[in-house]
Amino acid sequence: MTTYRFTAVRAQQAPGHDVFVFAAHPADVLSFAAIERVARTDDGQLKGFQRHQVASHIRDIRDYLTREDALLPNAVIIAFIEGVTVKDLSDGLVQVQIDVTQDSRPGFVVDGQQRLTALSGINKPEFQVFVSAVICKDYNELRQQFVLINNTRPLPKTLIYELLPNVEGLPERFTQRKFSARIVDMLNFTRGSSLHGEVRQHTNPTGMISDTAMQRLIMNSASDGAIRSLMRFDDREERAFQLVSEFFHAVARVYGSAWYGMAPRFSRLRHGAGIVAMGFVMDHLHSLEGAKERGQFEPGLRLLAPHTAWTSGQWPLEAWDTRPWNGIQNTPSDIDLLTRYLVSSLKKALRKPRRIANG
Amino acid sequence: MKFLYSDTQDYVDPGYDFLNDRCRPGRERYWSDVYAHEFMDPAPYDGLLVSMSAVRQAAGVATSKVRYSTREEQRLLRDGARQFLRYGGPRFKDTMLLGDCGAFAYVEHPVPAYAPEEVVEFYTEAGFTHGISPDHIIFACDLTNPSEQAVDAATRQRFAITLANAEVFLGLVKREGMPFEPLGPVQGWSPKSMAEAAHRLERMGYRYLAIGGLVPLKVDAIKAVLTAIRERIRPETEIHLLGFAKADSIHEFTGFGITSFDSTSPLIRAFKDEKANYYREGSDGRLEYYTAIRIPQATENARLMQGIKRGQFSAEDLLLRERRALIEVRAYDRGASSAEATLDAVMDYHQFLLRGDGTGAAQQDKALRKTAALVQRTLKHQPWKECDCAVCRDIGVEVIIFRSSNRNKRRGMHNLSVYHRHLSKTIQGTA
Repeated sequence: MTTYRFTAVRAQQAPGHDVFVFAAHPADVLSFAAIERVARTDDGQLKGFQRHQVASHIRDIRDYLTREDALLPNAVIIAFIEGVTVKDLSDGLVQVQIDVTQDSRPGFVVDGQQRLTALSGINKPEFQVFVSAVICKDYNELRQQFVLINNTRPLPKTLIYELLPNVEGLPERFTQRKFSARIVDMLNFTRGSSLHGEVRQHTNPTGMISDTAMQRLIMNSASDGAIRSLMRFDDREERAFQLVSEFFHAVARVYGSAWYGMAPRFSRLRHGAGIVAMGFVMDHLHSLEGAKERGQFEPGLRLLAPHTAWTSGQWPLEAWDTRPWNGIQNTPSDIDLLTRYLVSSLKKALRKPRRIANG
Repeated sequence: MKFLYSDTQDYVDPGYDFLNDRCRPGRERYWSDVYAHEFMDPAPYDGLLVSMSAVRQAAGVATSKVRYSTREEQRLLRDGARQFLRYGGPRFKDTMLLGDCGAFAYVEHPVPAYAPEEVVEFYTEAGFTHGISPDHIIFACDLTNPSEQAVDAATRQRFAITLANAEVFLGLVKREGMPFEPLGPVQGWSPKSMAEAAHRLERMGYRYLAIGGLVPLKVDAIKAVLTAIRERIRPETEIHLLGFAKADSIHEFTGFGITSFDSTSPLIRAFKDEKANYYREGSDGRLEYYTAIRIPQATENARLMQGIKRGQFSAEDLLLRERRALIEVRAYDRGASSAEATLDAVMDYHQFLLRGDGTGAAQQDKALRKTAALVQRTLKHQPWKECDCAVCRDIGVEVIIFRSSNRNKRRGMHNLSVYHRHLSKTIQGTA
C-alpha cells in the first residue's frame, strides 16, 4: 500500500461534504486517481463516465505546457468515495491522507483527464497542478458531480474569433483564423473601408454580412489566392485589408442594388455563399488581370454582372442544374458550384472582348 | 515505356518529428510539404496523371470523393497543374502531365459525370500535356468474345457513349488548336470489342489510345486484350494502360508497344496491402516485399478507439504498450535490442488490433502467428538499412513502421523509387 499526504485548504460548502484543494504532481495524481472511461459491462450495464482521449486536444495542451512560461491555474477535479482520511489542522487547513492499494486507486478523475494525460507525456518533473477534491457518498453521486461539472456551455465560436486578434500564444490551428479575424476587424472598423460596419460581430450585432463567411474568404485567399502573395510583406495585414476593401468597393459600385443595405435573405451577394464565392472572383481578377484597386476590379465585375442572379432570376449552374436566385445555400457543395459558375462565366466573358480586340 | 504516377495530393512534411509524431511547428499543409519528385532524386516516375474527379465533384454523384478543396481546384485552374504540382522547371522539362476523368468516380452513374466540353476546358486551363476523352468503364471482360447482341444494353450503351464522346472531344480539341495531345479511351466487353473500339478511335484521328477497364483483369486477360488491339491498329499508334494494377509484371508486357502506363500501386501498397508494404529489389532482378511493422497510434487508430470506447481496452494501458513497441523497434535498429524482444513488444501491442474483432480466440491466434512470422522476417532482414533512397537515408527505421501518413506515404515514395528503378532495368534488359 502507498500513502500520499497533502496539506489542503478546505472550503465550507454543503454540510456533510468535504471539499478541499491541494497541489500535487500529475504523476502522483494519476497514481491515486483513475480515469474511468464510459463503457458497458458484458451484461450491458453502463460503467464509468469519462469520455475517451482526444488526441488533437491533448497535443494542443501538450504544446502549450511544454513552454517554459506555461501556467495551469485551473484545478483538476478528483472525486473520492473512500480511501481518504481528512484531519483538521487549523485556519481551514486539513491534512489529507490517501491510501492506494495494490489493485485499486481510490480517486476518480472528474475533470481534467486530457490535461493530466498531456502532462504525463512531457518531461516536467517540477510541475504541479491544483487538485480540487470532493468526497462523495457513493458512485451515483460521483457520476452526478461529473455531469454537473462538465455540463458547461462552451463560448460561442464567433466570440472566440472576435477575441482572437488580441490573444497571443495560441495553438497553431488558431493562427490562420487569427489572421483572418484581424482582417475582418479592420474591414469592419476602419473608416473608408467598403465593409465599414457591415460585418455582424458580437460587438456589432447590426452588421448584416456573416463574419465567418468573410473569414472564410480571407482564409481561402491567404492559403491559395491573392492574399497569399502578400504574406511575405511586413505590412501584410494592411495590404490584405486594402485588397479586400478595394474589391468590395468595386462590388458595391457594380452591383449597387444587390449590395447596399441588403440583408442576406434578399440578396445572395450578401449571403455567406455569395461572399465566399466572390472571394474566388477577387483572386481570379487579381491573379489574371493584376487587379488591386477598385477601378481595376470593376471592368471584370461588369462583364460578370449579366451572368449573375443575386436578387432575382435564375442561376444556370450546370446544364441540368438551374436554380432560382435564392436556391443557393451556405453549404460547401453549393459554394463550390457557385464559385465554379462565377469564375468560368467570368473567364468566358474576359475571353470574348480579347478575341474581338485580336481580330 | 513511361511510368506515370496518379497523384491524389500525396505529399509529406519534410520536417516531420518522428519521435514526437508531430508536424514541424508552423508547417502549412501543401505549402511546407513536398511531393515525391521534390523529395527524391531522380524523381520516382516519368510523369503525373491527375484525375478530374479527384479535383472536381463529379456532378450528380453523391459519393464522389474529391481530394481537392474548392480553393485548391481554383488555384490549380489559375496557375496550371504543373505549377500546382511543383513539377516544372528544367528538371521536369518534357515530362508528361496527363489528365483523365477518373471514371471510377461515376462508374455507377448512367452517363459520365463530365461532358466533353467541360473536360476540354478543364484540361486546357490546367495545362496538361495530354488528356483522355471522358470514358465510361465497362468492367466485365469476356475472353470468349461474345457478339454485340449477346451483351446487355447497358454495356452496349457504355461502349457507344465512350466512342461518341471521343468524337466530340477530338473535334473540340482540334478547334481549340490542340492545346494538349488527346488520347482516345478504349472500353469494351471483350478483347475483340476493345480492338474494334481502338480501330474506330484510330479512324477518328487519335494517335494515342488509353486502354481502360484493366484493373480487375489478370495478366493473361490483359495480354489477350493487347494482342487483339495490336492486331487491329497501326504499329505507330501509341498505347497507354490506364490504372495498370499489374505493374509488377511489367516485364511480360514489353512486347506490346506500350508508350506509357499509370499505376498507384507502389505507393498505395505501402499502407493498403496486407503484407507487401515495403519494396526491395531482389538479387535476381525481381521485386521482393516486406511487411511493415504496425504500431498505430493508440488514441487515433479507429479500431483501437472502438475497443477503448466499448471499454474492452484501457487507453492508458495501450499507450504504454505502444510506447514500448516503438522504443524496442528503434533500439533494435541501433543494435541495442534483440530481434526476439522486439518481436515480443511489437506483437504484444499488435494483438489489440485483432482482439475484439469478434472472430474468436482461435482465429485471432492464427492471424497473430501469421503476422509474427512476417514481422520476424522484416526484422531479420532489416531491408531499410540497405536502401539508399532519400527516404531511407533520411528516416531510417521509421520507414518500416506502419503508423501515420508521414511514415506510410514516405514508405510509398520509397516503393515508387524502387519500382521506377526496377522498371528502367526491365526495359533495358529487354531492349
